[in-house]
Amino acid sequence: MTIEPTLPIPISYIEGNYYVFSIDAVTYLRREYHICGVLIGTLPQIPQQNVFLGLPLELMPEEARLLVEKGVACIVDEVKVQKQGMKALMEEDRKKYLRELESQGLQAMRLQTSRKEQQREKTLKKLEEKKVKAAKSKKLPEDPEPEPEPAAADGPKDDPSLELFADHQLSSNSQTTSRRTSTTINPENAMGITPATAHPPLPAEPAAEQLLPTPQVPSSYPLFAHLHAEGYFLSPGLRFGCQYLAYPGDPLRFHSHFLVVSAEWDEELDLMEIIAGGRLGTGVKKGFLIGGAEKKEGSADKENVRTFSIEWAGM
Amino acid sequence: MASTQLTSVTPPEPSALTTLIANSAPSDPLSAATIQILHNLQHQHLWTSVQVHDIKIPNLNASSPPAGSVATSPEDQSATPFLISGIPPHRVYTHPDEQLYLLERGLREEDVELERMFVLSAIKNQPWSLRKMAAVFDSLPDEAEIQAAEVSMNGGEELGEGGSKEKAAQLAEYYEYRKRARLTKEWGGKRLLLAMVDRGMGGDGTVVYYVVQEGAVKPRQN
Repeated sequence: MTIEPTLPIPISYIEGNYYVFSIDAVTYLRREYHICGVLIGTLPQIPQQNVFLGLPLELMPEEARLLVEKGVACIVDEVKVQKQGMKALMEEDRKKYLRELESQGLQAMRLQTSRKEQQREKTLKKLEEKKVKAAKSKKLPEDPEPEPEPAAADGPKDDPSLELFADHQLSSNSQTTSRRTSTTINPENAMGITPATAHPPLPAEPAAEQLLPTPQVPSSYPLFAHLHAEGYFLSPGLRFGCQYLAYPGDPLRFHSHFLVVSAEWDEELDLMEIIAGGRLGTGVKKGFLIGGAEKKEGSADKENVRTFSIEWAGM
Repeated sequence: MASTQLTSVTPPEPSALTTLIANSAPSDPLSAATIQILHNLQHQHLWTSVQVHDIKIPNLNASSPPAGSVATSPEDQSATPFLISGIPPHRVYTHPDEQLYLLERGLREEDVELERMFVLSAIKNQPWSLRKMAAVFDSLPDEAEIQAAEVSMNGGEELGEGGSKEKAAQLAEYYEYRKRARLTKEWGGKRLLLAMVDRGMGGDGTVVYYVVQEGAVKPRQN
């Protein structure tokens, strides 16, 4: 099942960071554009959780920029969207939305009570069966020969139990009906509903004035774009003390191939950094890749990125 | 007694390396380091037919003045990189895909003819940049040139091939494939060894070697 979100995907810009809040967009970007980002959502009960995180997805500025340049996404000023969206809601719409929420709450309440009823009935039935069994076992020792005449013994025994059930069912039915009427009568009893998305009340597509220009990116962006175009999946490289980790396929399936560090064309490099990177990379079965955009006097057209991969020679 | 001993003590003979460096003409640190690395390759790693190439990098000198009148330009000229080339006693680098190819055909690395490798000499704290690195790689011979040279060399090579005919055929196939792989850069592009020595404090004569390749070449499965 492949869900195609409507393009361009809105990337929410909040406090200097880029987020994607839609799971369809997240899977789509990962599948079609090799953009993984980092999931940062924790469960409210476990705020210190640091593995198996969920939505939202945080994107590096480079990732956001790349998507914007490809025309797949647009940057949205989320604060503006929320404020303007809420202001723009008509009084009628607002009331309608609140009513909707209330009816959802009532529905949830109803489901909960009916489930409670069902459980109650189940336990009552079990109790009844136990009683019947107990009665049977009491009768059994009295009867010296229970098997020759089961039909005769069954007849009188069933009747009271049936009555009992009927009685219970009646009583439970009357109870549920009374409760139901009570809930429908006072909507204050409705459960509180926290909407998971802001998009039913707010417009799905951001207005033009809520869009932001392409994101500011570090000078390593040409290298990022170059490696991404070569089919690598890039993720932040803090774990290995580099700028990016380059995976040859989806990070869930592959180990990374390179520890990537970007440099300016004329930036002075410390050879020790190259040695340290090369040695660390080889130690973790990766290569150390250093690269940057080439600066040439003659050709001012499309910038050419040169990369060098370094490994320990083992001698 | 003590005094006579003191007078009779002569300073120790300079090491073979020191005399070698002293006897070679220029004495700037980089050329000295180059000789040290050459010595190391020859005597520690048993490389053969080692030689020094003085590479001309017109790109570097031409572009440094407009790159912003930085005071590093005279330093740049003095630190023109040196290349050493030689033939290692065994293969230094095999691309993982090449290794797979060899394995599939039952060839071993020892069966394959040894190749001349380039070594770039460097000293710790020497200023480096991507521009320099790229210039060094650009100065390396092109694939077309190498193949032209190979063709001229390989004339009588085929006859001298000993061993089983099967293996010879496999090897021939491998060489043929390697030629194509080099052009497509399937097994990596240009490569060289970066050799670095520490000539300052604590320099213990260690030379470290790193394989540097152009482009994103997937790592070996060490």
